[in-house]
This record gives sequence, C-alpha cells and structure tokens, in this order.
Amino acid sequence: MCGLMLVSPSGILRGIARVYIDLIRGTPIIVQAFFIYFGIPNVTGIRLTATVAGIITLTLNAGAYTAEIVRGGIQSVPAGQMEAARSLGLTRGQAMSNVILPQAIRVMIPSIVNQCIITLKDSSILSVIGLTELTQTGRLIIANNFESFKMWIIVGIMYLIPIMLLTKLSQWVERKLQIAKD
Amino acid sequence: MPKIEVKGLKKNFGENEILKGIDLDVNEGEVICVIGPSGSGKSTMLRCLNRLEEATDGSIIIDGNDITDPKGDIDLYRRNIGMVFQQFNLFPHMTVLENVMLAPVKLKIMSKEEAEKVGRDLLNRVGLAEKADAYPPSLSGGQQQRVAIARALAMHPDVMLFDEPTSALDPEMVGEVLNVMKQLAEDGMTMIVVTHEMGFAREVADRVIFIDGGYIVEEGTPEEVFGHPKNERTINFLNMIL
Repeated sequence: MCGLMLVSPSGILRGIARVYIDLIRGTPIIVQAFFIYFGIPNVTGIRLTATVAGIITLTLNAGAYTAEIVRGGIQSVPAGQMEAARSLGLTRGQAMSNVILPQAIRVMIPSIVNQCIITLKDSSILSVIGLTELTQTGRLIIANNFESFKMWIIVGIMYLIPIMLLTKLSQWVERKLQIAKD
Repeated sequence: MPKIEVKGLKKNFGENEILKGIDLDVNEGEVICVIGPSGSGKSTMLRCLNRLEEATDGSIIIDGNDITDPKGDIDLYRRNIGMVFQQFNLFPHMTVLENVMLAPVKLKIMSKEEAEKVGRDLLNRVGLAEKADAYPPSLSGGQQQRVAIARALAMHPDVMLFDEPTSALDPEMVGEVLNVMKQLAEDGMTMIVVTHEMGFAREVADRVIFIDGGYIVEEGTPEEVFGHPKNERTINFLNMIL
C-alpha cells in the first residue's frame, strides 16, 4: 500500500509515505516498541497490552521496509510497459494492476520473504516490553529449570523451522513463476 | 475537417526546447512518414499526439477531441489512437493472444469471447495465428512487433502512430513488419510513421515530413521530398542516409 504511494503521481501521498518510512527506518525497533508501549500511554492515557503494542510495532516496521521493496519492484518494470498499457486506453490503475504489478511481484517475492524472516526474528526483541513471545517464554522456562543450554537450542530450532519453511516456500513460488514465464 | 489537426505544438524538456512550433493537418486515410535526424523531435511530436508527453504549448485535435485539454478524458481519446513502439513493449507475462485481448476486455468494449475472436483474426492478419499461445519473449523481434500492431488494432483505432517500428529489428525482419504496415495503409488506416526506412516512405507515404531542429522544415509527396528537396538541411540529411 505504502509502496504504491511511493510511486504515486501525487506529491502529497509520496510525502506522507516518505516521512513514515524515514521515521521507521531511521529508528531502532526497540525504541519504537518502548515508544508505543510506554511513551504513547504516558501522553494519551490509553494503555495498550504488550501484545497489541508488539503487533503494532512489528506491523509498522515490516510495512516500512516492505514499502521500499514494493517501490523497487514497480520501478524495475520498464517504463515502456506503462506507456504501452496507457496508449491502449487503460487507466493508470488498470495498467498498474494488470500489467505492472504482476511483473513487479515476481521481482519482489524473494525480498518480501526475506522481510518476513526478519520480522519473525525481530519479534524476539519484543520480550523487552514483557511480551511473552518465544524468546521470553524460553527465559521463563529457564528461570524454572536452569537448563539454559538445552532450552536455547530448542528455542533456536523453533525459530529455525518456520523460517526454513518460508524459505522453501519462496523458492517453490519463484520456480513456479519461472515456469509460467517460459 | 482533417482527422488530425496540430497547431503551434511546442514541447520543452526543462530549458531544452525540443519542438518549437509544429503545424500539421492529416486527412482521413492519409499515411504520413516523418523523417529527420535523431534528436530532431520527431518521436517527441508523435508522443505528444496521444499525450505520452504533455505538450508545452499549442493544440492537438484528433477526431474533434482536444488532446491537450487537461479536463478531457485522455484514456477515452487514446482508445482511438493506436501506438506501436520501437521496443515493442509487449506484456511479457501474458500470452500473445492475451496481449491482444487485454485492453478490449478490461475496458469492457468486448466480451472475452468476442475479444478472442477479434484477437485471433488480427493475429491471422499479421501472420501469427499459430503463435497465439506463445509468450512474447520466445518470439523474434519482427514477430513481437507484428503482435504489437495487432494489439493496437484490437481497439479498432481510427489513427495509428508508429514510433520507429523497425529500428530495433535485425535487418532480415524489417520487411515482415513493413509489409503488415503497408497492408494497413492500403486498407485506409490513417497513419503517422516516424521512420528511417526511406524505401517504405517513398513507396507507402502520401506525404513525407522532414523535421529538424524542432520545426517542420520540408513537406510534400515522397516524389517532391526525395526527388526535389528544396531546403538545404533536407538535402544534407538525404545525402547522408541515401
């Protein structure tokens, strides 16, 4: 969504997207998490649970990076494609959805999967706001049984498995698209 | 009333004045070949005609529609103006037939069945019926350009613009594309062709226009322009390429 705003002909939309992306990319995720979990309630009085604050942080973060990936994908499609589509009478939106995006997505898939993996791992940082995600759960268990060697290996494997699956999935999708293209 | 009426067309890119005042009338069914040195503004002029480039000044009326009017529905006007590009610009993720069908179907001008019939007829007309289900990257340049012509024709345009349609082709493929264009001209299509193919211009054009330095320097029948050029710049240009 934000990626589309980045290539929009409207300067205002581009500006909004730019500010959002620069803010998120220019600050560490741990600071964003503290700001959303502690900072915002401090001013507004609205108390967010750790889970909600964590989800907001990760979404804002992944959104900003994905927007850049989407922009890059769209801009990798030669300008002649848009011109050809428009010259036939298609609107900008129709050209985008029928001609540009289907080609851009092929380029974007590896980077998007990579972003998913990063987001998955970034979730471990949210243990700092007390969110009982995987890493935090590991710490709690270790606090009980002191089996830190075994427990951290288990936690590591639990991150590894979904990430490996994601990687395999993306390789499979890429191969599919490759075949469809030839 | 002429089919295309261009008056005082100017186009600047920043400080750089590319078109300095082009006046041109094209009648229905006329074939105009535009020649001139590279950088003379001939492609820019063509691209202004369907507003791929915004004109800086002047007016362009095609079929009574003011192309330069910012309030006009340019998407609607463009349906009537087919364009063929130097680099073909086929959609590589769609089959040849899907390329041809896309615009008529998406713009709800034809049903899928109709568009498929029209598409296959057009591919047949450009000699590529058997390539309907192939993907563009597997085709030769000449074949791709013929598909691009079929794709533009699928919208049943009244006017066709060709922007150096054979300049990106290997020499042995130029002929097949020019033949399709010649056929189109004989069928009465109004065409403006920016080209370096002087043989084609001589044979097919009703009128040849020589553009240099942002102006139309000379225009006339092929016989007049190639046979008895009056302007010194035209003479120089023709000497260099012929």
